[in-house]
Amino acid sequence: MKTFMSLLKTNLNVYFGISALKYRFTKEKKRLWEPILVLFAVVIGGGSLLVLYSFLLLGVFMGGQGIGHPEIVLTFAFMATQLLILIFGIFYIMSVFYFSNDMNILIPLPLRPAEVLGVKFIIILIGEYLIALPMLLPAFIIYGLGTWSNIFYWLKGLILVLMAPILPLVIAAIFVILLMRFINIRKSKDLMVVLGSLLGLFLGIGVNFLTQSIPQGNEKEFITSLIESNTGLIEAIGNKFPPSIWATLGLTSPGWQGLGYFLLFIGLSLLLLAVLLWLGNAFFYKGYLSGQEVQRKAKAISAGDMEKRALKTASPVVALFKREWKLFIRTPIYFMNGIAGMIMVPFLMLMPLATQTEKMSEVVSLAKDPKYAPIAALVSLGIMLFASSMNLISSTSISREGRTFWISKLIPVSPKDQVLAKLIHSSCLSLIALILIALPLYFLLDMLLYRLIIIIFIGLLANILINILGLIIDLLRPKLEWNDPQEAIKQNLNAFLAMLAVMFIMFILGGIAVLLALKGISELWIYGILALIIVLLSVPSIYGLFALAHRKYNSLEI
Amino acid sequence: MIEIKSLSKSYNKGRVKAVDDLNLHVKPGEIFGFLGPNGAGKTTTIKMMVGLLTPDNGSISIAGIDMMKNPLEAKRNIGYVPDNPDVYDRLTGMEYLNFMADVYKVPAKERKERISYLLEMFNLTDAVGDLIKSYSHGMKQKIVLTGALLHNPAVWILDEPMVGLDPKSSHLLKEFMRKHCDQGNTVFFSTHVLEVAEKLCDRIGIINKGKLIAIGTLDELRHGEQADSLENIFLELTEI
Ligand SMILES: Nc1ncnc2c1ncn2[C@@H]1O[C@H](COP(=O)(O)OP(=O)(O)OP(=O)(O)O)[C@@H](O)[C@H]1O
Ligand SMILES: [Mg+2]
Repeated sequence: MKTFMSLLKTNLNVYFGISALKYRFTKEKKRLWEPILVLFAVVIGGGSLLVLYSFLLLGVFMGGQGIGHPEIVLTFAFMATQLLILIFGIFYIMSVFYFSNDMNILIPLPLRPAEVLGVKFIIILIGEYLIALPMLLPAFIIYGLGTWSNIFYWLKGLILVLMAPILPLVIAAIFVILLMRFINIRKSKDLMVVLGSLLGLFLGIGVNFLTQSIPQGNEKEFITSLIESNTGLIEAIGNKFPPSIWATLGLTSPGWQGLGYFLLFIGLSLLLLAVLLWLGNAFFYKGYLSGQEVQRKAKAISAGDMEKRALKTASPVVALFKREWKLFIRTPIYFMNGIAGMIMVPFLMLMPLATQTEKMSEVVSLAKDPKYAPIAALVSLGIMLFASSMNLISSTSISREGRTFWISKLIPVSPKDQVLAKLIHSSCLSLIALILIALPLYFLLDMLLYRLIIIIFIGLLANILINILGLIIDLLRPKLEWNDPQEAIKQNLNAFLAMLAVMFIMFILGGIAVLLALKGISELWIYGILALIIVLLSVPSIYGLFALAHRKYNSLEI
Repeated sequence: MIEIKSLSKSYNKGRVKAVDDLNLHVKPGEIFGFLGPNGAGKTTTIKMMVGLLTPDNGSISIAGIDMMKNPLEAKRNIGYVPDNPDVYDRLTGMEYLNFMADVYKVPAKERKERISYLLEMFNLTDAVGDLIKSYSHGMKQKIVLTGALLHNPAVWILDEPMVGLDPKSSHLLKEFMRKHCDQGNTVFFSTHVLEVAEKLCDRIGIINKGKLIAIGTLDELRHGEQADSLENIFLELTEI
């Protein structure tokens, strides 16, 4: 037990970066505003989401009360939470159990696999509470207050809320451990990253779709009908997988029956946990060790082939560009996050149109009207630019180099050329994204070809400016210390800061465009003025970028 | 070829003085061994020499070119291998070598010759088409070494180059270093293996707690006490 506790302590420390935080706060004393800003953003963003969610739950509760089943709100919350944890748990567990770097250190230690597994499980569990508590507590409180529940409800409920993530997480873990034992999925870590990102993408689109389909003005009736049509579904899930409603029954059934369900739920969670630990002892290390290779080519390249390759020379900037390109394309997490965000945005924006077909055709026919075509093109440009503001390719460009940044410092290529290569790389990807977004609009709105070309051109100009700003932000405070590529892009505040900066600029550009359009200035003049403004902003920015690169490539230490 | 004047560097806003007023001169044709206990400041000095760290104070010149004033030109004369190389995992060995050759502007013909020569020497020819991700520690080190020497730099700066190499590769590297210096070039390397330093180096510098405490040929270090081995000298000097 003592070794287990010390292992847990060390792991908590490493995983949540406690010592590193302490060091930063007490020794280095730098960038204290950063965590404060993050906290601020989380509180605002999370808080407003929580309020929205609570209102939804309140609706569900009142709707349920109407049909005599107020406990539906609990079932809803428990099921949604458990389902979410189950799905994301699979990916989370895979990455923490099998893809994390510390396994090389842990395996040689004189510990039972179950202990290592237990520690990792607890760490994931703590992470999951960040999702589970905000999802469960509102429902729990709403039902408790709404039905004047007694003290036993509150006591049992607190325990159940704390226990709720365990069951789905254990099931996910058992699934993953068995999967890893029998299929060698570790080889295709990259594939898992892609699958995980796609899942997140679809979930995002799905949630958006749902909220879009709530008719405005009569939300309440909608919720009632939703509940009525879905009680069948909930019951069906409950029948197929009874534990999912045991929590609700344990909370709402009277007397001994309630206590029975309560104990049943907890008992099952603990039992499955024991099964997991047992399975872990038997299979965990074996599964880990069986899949540690990187694919190697079967045959070496021939001498002639090598000669051909060696003879292909390129200028330093082109060589740097090729490096950026290859590393970006070959790291799925970069690729998915870099491109997906940009392509997803127009989807989300067009969604409301797609779900309300009448309005859609109305808007489209208006846009096709030659009188409004210039406005439609401007709006399309706006959509394209908004989408490209989701771009985090440039704003993580230095960070992505991580520990290999020493190579960039070492090579005899001026910082100016190095950031130029990065700018070309990110702008190429921007151009691809712009075209991908513009083409559907082009066909949907029957846009004239010259308009398409103009808006892509202006979009590209604006994207170059955006990418310059992204590079400046990343240069100012790059995150070079990371072990997994994921940290460079997902846990990087720069991407967020760059988005803010870009939105600000887009806001100004958009405002100017609207103002000019309202004044009745002709279309081509508006484009001309926009292009001029962008260029006027870009020129000093790019010189600023070069000067900053010169300073930072010298002073950054890794 | 290497000229270091009153070089200083501290970490954590001056609390850790890693290199303290270091003066050093390495002549053409010389293999220079840089010794010192763990944490003495070897890696810090080397990183400043190749431009990875900015000195707090002092100057460095490589092949007559000032590292601060004309860094790009100075860097072209350096071949550097770090003690623990992190390279681009997702490039193949060949792609990495071509990248290095491109940024150092190595002409096609010379590039081809040197790549095949070095790969042959380090026995890497078969692996060069694979992603670097799949390389062993030693293979990674050898591909970095190959990449660092492609442009035939006059000054080699190597941080513990023998660590992790198999006996044959390490032997070949030592021979290669000798050959390089016999052509009038310079090798500067840090090591903990005193036998290597004893046999290979023309001159030796010993650093302790950031200060250079001894420098000279083996004989000079012995102060005429013929019997003393480098090990004894090292232990005596660094024992404070
Ligand atoms: N990034 C850093 N931040 C803070 N202190 C550092 C850093 N790198 C090195 N130091 C400190 O600088 C001093 C010199 O370290 P350096 O790495 O140069 O030693 P070294 O001679 O190369 O040692 P070794 O033989 O172990 O490689 C040590 O006291 C070390 O703690
Ligand atoms: Mg060192």
